[in-house]
Amino acid sequence: MLVFAASDKGGTGRSVTSANLAYQRALTGDHVAYVDFDFGSPTAAAVFDVPGAVRGTEERGLHSYLEGEIAEPARIDVWRQTEHPLLRARPNQSGRLVLFPGDAGGGEFATDDDALERCIDLLLRLNGEFDLIVVDLSAGRSYAVDMVLAATAHPRMRNVPFRWLVFHRWTRQHVIAASGLVHKEHGIIGGGVERGHDEESLRAAIRFVRAAVPDPESPLWSQGSPAQAAWMQSCDEALRRLAAEHRIGDSVVLGVVPLEPILQWREQLITEEDVLSTQIANKETLEALEEIARRLTDDSYWGQP
Amino acid sequence: MRALEDAGSAPHAVLACGEVRTCLLPARQALDVRAAAQLLGLRADERVLLSERPNLYARSPDTLTGVDCPLPSANGAHVRAVGTVAARAALTEGRVLQTSAYFRLPAAGPDRRRPWGHYLVRPGTVEPFGKLPHEAVAQGVLDGGRHGELDVGLIAGGLLTRLLRHPLLDQRPPLRSRPTRLRWVALPAEGGEGPSIERFTLAEDELRTVRLRVPEGTPAADAAGLCDDLALHDWLLTTVVRLLDGIRLGSEPPSARVGPGTQDPPAVVRALRPAVDHLLHLWMPRARVAKELAPLWEALEERPGFTRQWQALVQRIRDQLTLHAIPTLYREVEPAP
Repeated sequence: MLVFAASDKGGTGRSVTSANLAYQRALTGDHVAYVDFDFGSPTAAAVFDVPGAVRGTEERGLHSYLEGEIAEPARIDVWRQTEHPLLRARPNQSGRLVLFPGDAGGGEFATDDDALERCIDLLLRLNGEFDLIVVDLSAGRSYAVDMVLAATAHPRMRNVPFRWLVFHRWTRQHVIAASGLVHKEHGIIGGGVERGHDEESLRAAIRFVRAAVPDPESPLWSQGSPAQAAWMQSCDEALRRLAAEHRIGDSVVLGVVPLEPILQWREQLITEEDVLSTQIANKETLEALEEIARRLTDDSYWGQP
Repeated sequence: MRALEDAGSAPHAVLACGEVRTCLLPARQALDVRAAAQLLGLRADERVLLSERPNLYARSPDTLTGVDCPLPSANGAHVRAVGTVAARAALTEGRVLQTSAYFRLPAAGPDRRRPWGHYLVRPGTVEPFGKLPHEAVAQGVLDGGRHGELDVGLIAGGLLTRLLRHPLLDQRPPLRSRPTRLRWVALPAEGGEGPSIERFTLAEDELRTVRLRVPEGTPAADAAGLCDDLALHDWLLTTVVRLLDGIRLGSEPPSARVGPGTQDPPAVVRALRPAVDHLLHLWMPRARVAKELAPLWEALEERPGFTRQWQALVQRIRDQLTLHAIPTLYREVEPAP
């Protein structure tokens, strides 16, 4: 199963959340690949805590691969190469977790037919090797988005299941932008149809993840005044209405990640240790990530009985 | 190939090198003979070799890649070499796809480049400029060369990529597996001795290296054939070991348990079934190894004991499946306190 992680804007928590989803699935025993197609600003090395390993791959990342300079992109075994002490002790019964980094300093680039063929080669190879492939895409209607839309519409990919996650923050601007990314004339659906996708099935393969959502019930806000609580409540309601009007209402939401202070400070994986032992992360955050990770392959959340 | 070597004026090879890529064919059903021939028909002028005994096997004709570049070497010696690398693809039981690229090197070559015609009548031979430091080059090949040096793996990989794009393949592999690479070198055996495996290492997750000694005059294609066979069986072992690693034994959590009225088999059976359907019948060491090199397998059977490990794995799979044929009531007995 391929999962494409997209967002209209930066700073939506797309990379950090999708990396956490990959991590959660690997913990349950799946073999997981995390493919960094965020060509503008690759952050995966920081999230998985593998900066040292990534430094060795400057010329062998995904750009170089797609441009045909190398035959195979570098891969980093996260359990083995992470500098995160907890991750290094690979949990028993976990699956593989492998990062495919972008090149350091590589920007967005126009893709031609050869790059598209190589992209398809890569996705097919990973599909034969991994249970789940999370592809982190540059923000907005980027070349990366175009490339994977074209790849998944290609006849060679006809039997490879894929799903899209669109990440957005829970504000007016972000709700409107996320809807635009998917539904506007040249959005993901429109762009996909231009490349040969069936509109209905593409639409059915897209779900939204609301990230960094403040929960009015959370103890974080319990010190606030009743007036603040009422104001937050009404904002939340208004945003729900707005989301529904923009066709990204609750029925197409795969999950909600609560506002998590430590993710505001540092993009990282949330481990059980962070919640139970050091208690720097909230239990609700970990539970939300576990639940979204589970729903990725639960067909009942994708409109299929 | 052999005839050419016997008749040709080229001196005897002092080194043969190659790399084999092995992977599961990404198709729901194994290919039958006809489809295999279609997949492997790399050249219009030569037919695909097909054989049905002792197992179904198809091999493409050799393709040649012209090269003119430095050879990798362990001591940094700069040796330019020109010639052709041979590459071919093989499909075993319509299920396991291999591409194999290899070449032979004579002890010395001319100091300047000859016209291409000279190299074309010596397919699969790469000639060094001057004398060949064959030990250093052998080690250099096994260590993996630097960018720009002759990389036989790149040629094997390129052929594999080309084959995997074939429209015959529906890209629905029946199980998750990882491709492997096996790099090999064959040096001449000391005066009159038989062939031997000097070293067989599991270098990285997917990389194996093999260092052989073969009697003088052993065709490079025969050494490549032996290494294809080693790579195939090493891949089978690796793949089945990983398959068994991935299953959780014992009782399943209630959510995954078979509910009344559902026909879903338990997770262990679902995980092991593809091995039974697609892999267990493929074990057949030496099926196509040249007679002179077949004794090398005996060393591997002794240590580490390839077939012994395989039989233990097969037995484990069968035991698991038998266990799951017993009604749940009797199978999941809680241990006494």
